[in-house]
Amino acid sequence: MNRFALLVFSVAALAVAAGCQKDETTSRDADLAGVNVAVGEKGGSFSKLFVLNEGNFQKNNSTLDFLRFSDGNYVSDAFGSMNPAVVQGLGDTGNDLALNDGKLWLVMNGSGYVHVLDAKDETLVASVAVPDPRFIAFDSGHAYVSSYAGAIYGGEEKKGKVFRIDLKTYKIDGEVEVGCQPEGVAVSGGKLYVANSGGYNYIHEDTVSVIDLSSFKVSGSVTTASNLHFMASDGRGAVYVSSYGESTWSQDDAGNWIQSMSEPMGLYSIDGLSSSQVKGVHVSCMTMCSDGYVYAIGNADELTGGYSNMLYKVSVKDGSVTSKAISGTDAAQVGNPYGICVNPDNGDIYITDADYTGPGKVWCFTKDLKKKWVAVAGMLPAHMVIY
Amino acid sequence: MFPSFLAAFLLFIQAPECHPEHSEGSDTLKAAMVSSIYGCIIVPQRITSGELKSASGLSEAVRRFAGVQLRDYGGVGGLKTVNVRSLGSEHTGVFIDGIQVDNAQNMQVDLGRFSLQGLSSVSLFSGQKVAPLQSAKEYSSASSLYLESADPVFKDGKRDNFFLRATGGSFKTGSPSVVWEHLLRGGSKLRLSAEALSSDGRYRFHVKDFRQYPDGTLAGYDTTMIRSNSDITSSRVEAMLFSPASGVASWNIHAYFYGSGRGLPGPVYKKAGEYPLSEDRQTDRDAFLQGKYYRDLGDVWSVAGRAKLSFSHLEYTDYPELVPGGTPASYNYRNHSAYLSATAMARIGSSLKVNLAQDCQYDYLDSDLRAFAYPGRFSSWSCASVIFGKDSFEASASALYLGVRDSFISGNDRSSASRSAFMPSLVFRWKPAERFTLNGFAKRSFRMPTFNDLYYTTVGTKTLDPEDAIQLDLGAVWNLWSEPSNHLTLKVETYWNQLKNKIIAVPTSNQFRWSMYNLGRVEVLGVDLTAEYSRKSGTVEFGLVGRYTFQRSRDKSDKEALTWNGQIPYIPLHSGSVNLYGEHGGWRLDITAFMTGERFTTSANLPAYRIAPWTTLDAALSKNLTIARNGLTLKLCLNNLLDQQYEIVDNYPMPGFNFLLVATLSF
Repeated sequence: MNRFALLVFSVAALAVAAGCQKDETTSRDADLAGVNVAVGEKGGSFSKLFVLNEGNFQKNNSTLDFLRFSDGNYVSDAFGSMNPAVVQGLGDTGNDLALNDGKLWLVMNGSGYVHVLDAKDETLVASVAVPDPRFIAFDSGHAYVSSYAGAIYGGEEKKGKVFRIDLKTYKIDGEVEVGCQPEGVAVSGGKLYVANSGGYNYIHEDTVSVIDLSSFKVSGSVTTASNLHFMASDGRGAVYVSSYGESTWSQDDAGNWIQSMSEPMGLYSIDGLSSSQVKGVHVSCMTMCSDGYVYAIGNADELTGGYSNMLYKVSVKDGSVTSKAISGTDAAQVGNPYGICVNPDNGDIYITDADYTGPGKVWCFTKDLKKKWVAVAGMLPAHMVIY
Repeated sequence: MFPSFLAAFLLFIQAPECHPEHSEGSDTLKAAMVSSIYGCIIVPQRITSGELKSASGLSEAVRRFAGVQLRDYGGVGGLKTVNVRSLGSEHTGVFIDGIQVDNAQNMQVDLGRFSLQGLSSVSLFSGQKVAPLQSAKEYSSASSLYLESADPVFKDGKRDNFFLRATGGSFKTGSPSVVWEHLLRGGSKLRLSAEALSSDGRYRFHVKDFRQYPDGTLAGYDTTMIRSNSDITSSRVEAMLFSPASGVASWNIHAYFYGSGRGLPGPVYKKAGEYPLSEDRQTDRDAFLQGKYYRDLGDVWSVAGRAKLSFSHLEYTDYPELVPGGTPASYNYRNHSAYLSATAMARIGSSLKVNLAQDCQYDYLDSDLRAFAYPGRFSSWSCASVIFGKDSFEASASALYLGVRDSFISGNDRSSASRSAFMPSLVFRWKPAERFTLNGFAKRSFRMPTFNDLYYTTVGTKTLDPEDAIQLDLGAVWNLWSEPSNHLTLKVETYWNQLKNKIIAVPTSNQFRWSMYNLGRVEVLGVDLTAEYSRKSGTVEFGLVGRYTFQRSRDKSDKEALTWNGQIPYIPLHSGSVNLYGEHGGWRLDITAFMTGERFTTSANLPAYRIAPWTTLDAALSKNLTIARNGLTLKLCLNNLLDQQYEIVDNYPMPGFNFLLVATLSF
C-alpha cells in the first residue's frame, strides 16, 4: 500500500516536473538551436546549466551559454541571441555568475557592469554600473558586489569597496570600504563576509572583512590566510573561504623564474570571528552545493611544483573531507580545470576547462568521475549555476 | 649603366628592377652603393617612383605586396607591423639602406615611424636576399623589407635643393617638413630633413552586430562611437651625408632622431558610461647613427664596412584614468645597441664570387620593472656565401652561423646563457628563355627569443630555444610584352613554410602565472600571383598592378586541441590588392583596392571568432607644376573612399573615409 502510494506520488511528481519542463519549453529561449552533446541527459528538477565564459582580457567576448537538460543541447551565446539589440553584448570579462530569486546576476569586471537577467529566457532586466566589480552575494533585499574601486597594479595602494544594490530598483544605495582588492563575498547570519586578496599589493592581505548588514558598516575583521579568493555561505551560519596561499619567486640555475608555495593554497571556515583551516584541501576552484558539501579542485603537489589535481568534497556538517585523485579517472582529460558546479539531484559534477589559445570546454562527469558529456564553450568558461 | 639608373629615380618613372644584365655588366661599387638591393639574385617585390609617391604612407605602401599581412591597430599613431608569409613580424627584418632597424626588446618595428620622404624604393624579399657585399645580418631574417634612400641629385649646376612640404587632412592631422640638399665642395652630398606631425587621431567608427534567426528575422544593433585618446605628436630629424659620385670609395652616413608622444586608445569593449576606455600614454625617443663604406681593392677584392649605434627609450603610462590627480603606474625601457660589420668579396674568374661577412652587435635593455634582469646580448653573425653566375643561370649557397650570448641579473648575480643557430640557404635563378625566368630558394632561419620572451619579470622563460623557420619557394616570372610602350609581366610564387618552436605565452601549473614556451607550430602553403601591365603612348601612361595571395596557414601545435589544423589568427586564406594608375601632363591618378578575406581571431575557426572580409578603396591624385623654375607638387589622397568599417586587429577599428592633402614645393 505504502509502496503504491509512493508510486502514485512519484508519477504525480513526474507529471508536475514534466509540466514544468513543458512550461520551460514555451520560454522564448526554447527555439535557440544548440549542439546536441548530452543525449538522454536528465537534469533532475533542473532545466538549465548556465555557463559564463569570462572571455579574453579587453576582447569584449564574454558570453553566456547553457545546457538545456530537456534535449541535451548546448546553446552558445544565449545572451547575444536573446538580446540582439544590446550594444556590445554582455561585455568584457565575466567574473561571477549567481542565481537569486529567478534572476541571473552576471558580474562583468572589465565592463564595470552587473547585468540582471531573467533566468527563464536570458532577457536583460537591468544593467547596474559598478566600478571594477568582482563577486556578488545576496540577502533578502539587496545584492552586494565587491569592487577593486579603481586600484591599479603597480600603482598606489588603494582600498576596495562593497557596493549594495537594491533588488527592487536595481540601483546602488550604499557602499562601504573594505580591504585591498576584495574578491569573494558571502552572506551568513546577518553579516556579509568579504575576502580581501591584496592582490596588487607587495604584501597580500590576509583578512576577511565582516560587515553588519543592518548598519552596512564594517563590524570586524577575521585574520585568516594570505590572498583570499572564493567565498561561500554554508547556509548554517558559517562561511568557507579559499586562499591562493603565498608564493615566493626565485630563479633556478638557468635563471628561470620558479614559483614555489611558501604557504599552500587552502580552504578555511569562518564561524563568527574565528577561522579554522580545513586540513588537506587545496583550492584552485570551488563551489558550494545545496547537497551540503563544498566541492573543490586543487593541486596537492603545488609545494613541490608538481601538478596533480585532486577533487575534494568537504561536508559542511562535520567538516570531514573526502579527496579523490583526478588522474586515472575520465576527468584527467580536463586540461585546465577552471570552474566547478555540482548537480545536487544526481551528484553530477560539471567542470569547465579553460584553453588559453582557443575556446574552452564544459565537461560533465558522474560523481565517480566517469565522463557523461563534453561541450565546446566560449573563451575561458569559468562560472556555472544550475537552474 | 649607372647614369641611366640614377636618371630613372630622377624622372620618377618605373626604375629598372635588378635584372641580370645589371649585375653582370656593371657590377661596380657605384651601382651597389646607389642601392643595396642592386644585383640581387632573387628579384624582390618592389615599389618605386610613381607608385611610392602615390602611397599615403609606408605602411600603406607595404600592404600592397603579395604575401604580406599588415598588422595595423588603426589611426595615425596605431602600431603598424608587417608579417610576411605567416611567419610573424619578428621574422621580418626591416633594413634602412642595408642596416637593420633593431628592437631587442620585442622585435616589433613600427612602420608608422618611417617617412616615405627621401626614399627611392621599398622592396620586399620574401626569402633570401643575395647581393654582392651583403652583410651577414642581411642573411639572417626569414624575410626582409628594404627601405632605400634616394641619392640627392643636383640639376643644372645647382648646389642646393630645397623641398618644403605641408600636409594636412583628416583627424586634424598637420605635418610640415623641410629638406635641404647641399652639394659640398669635393662632391659629397648632404641631406638634412625635419618633419613634425600632430594629429588628434579621433574618428568615428561603427560597432555593430546583426544576427539572422531561423525564422528569417534579423536583429541587432549598429551604433557610432568615436575613437579617442588616439592623438600623436611626433618629430623626426635626419641628416645624411653621401660620398661624391667619383672616387675610389662609396660611403654614406645617416643620423636619425625620432621622438613621439601618443595616446594608446586600446581595444574597444563595453564599458560603463562614466569610465573612459583607456588613457594610457606612450612616449618614444629613438636615435641612431649609422654608416657604410664600400671600396674596390683591385679587380678581385671589394670590401664593405657598416656600423651603427642606436638608442631608444620607451615609456608607458598605465591606467591614468583610474587615478585622477594621482601618480599613475609608469614603466620605462631603454634599449642601447651597437653594431659593426665587415664584408669582403672576391671575384674568381668571370662566373664566381665569394662573399665573406662578419657582423657583431651588442644590445642592452634597462628598465624600471620590479626585479628586472637588465639583459645584455652579444651577437655574432658569420657568413660565407658563394655566388655563381653563368649565362642565364645564377645561384648562391650561403651558410650563416649566429652565436648569441646573453648576460642577465638572476637573484643577486649576473648569469649568462648562450644560443646558437646555423642557417643555410640556397637560391637560384634560371632564365631558360628570353622572357621567362624561374627562381627559387630553400632556407632555414632562426629567430632568437626577444628580451621580453626571456626576461620579462616572472613571465619570461630563460631557457627558450630560437624559433625555427624553414622556407621552400619556387617561382616564375614571365615577361609577355616587354616594350616600354606595352609591358606585361606575370609572376607566380609558390611556397611552403614551417615554423617550429614558436614562442607562445601559456599558463603554467598555476593558472595565474603565465610563461613563454616553445610550443607553437605552423605550416604554411602559399601562392602569390602578381600581374603588372603598363602602356605608354605619347604623353599618356597607364598601368594596372594586381596582386593576389593564397595562404593556408595551419596551426599544428596541439593535436588534442580545438585549434588543431585551424587557420592561424589574423591570416586570411585569400587576400590581394589592385592598383590602377594613369599619368598625363603632370597629372597622376592612382586607385588602389585592398581585399582581405575572412579571418579568425583564434585557430579554432568557429563562427563566433570570425572576422568579416573587407575591401577598401583608396585614390590619390597628384599634379606636378612648374612655377618660375620651381616645382610644385599637389597631391590629394582619399583613403577608404567607400567608408568601409573594418578591423585588422580584433576590437581595434580602422578609420572610415579620410583624406590627406600634400603640397611640396621644390627649388
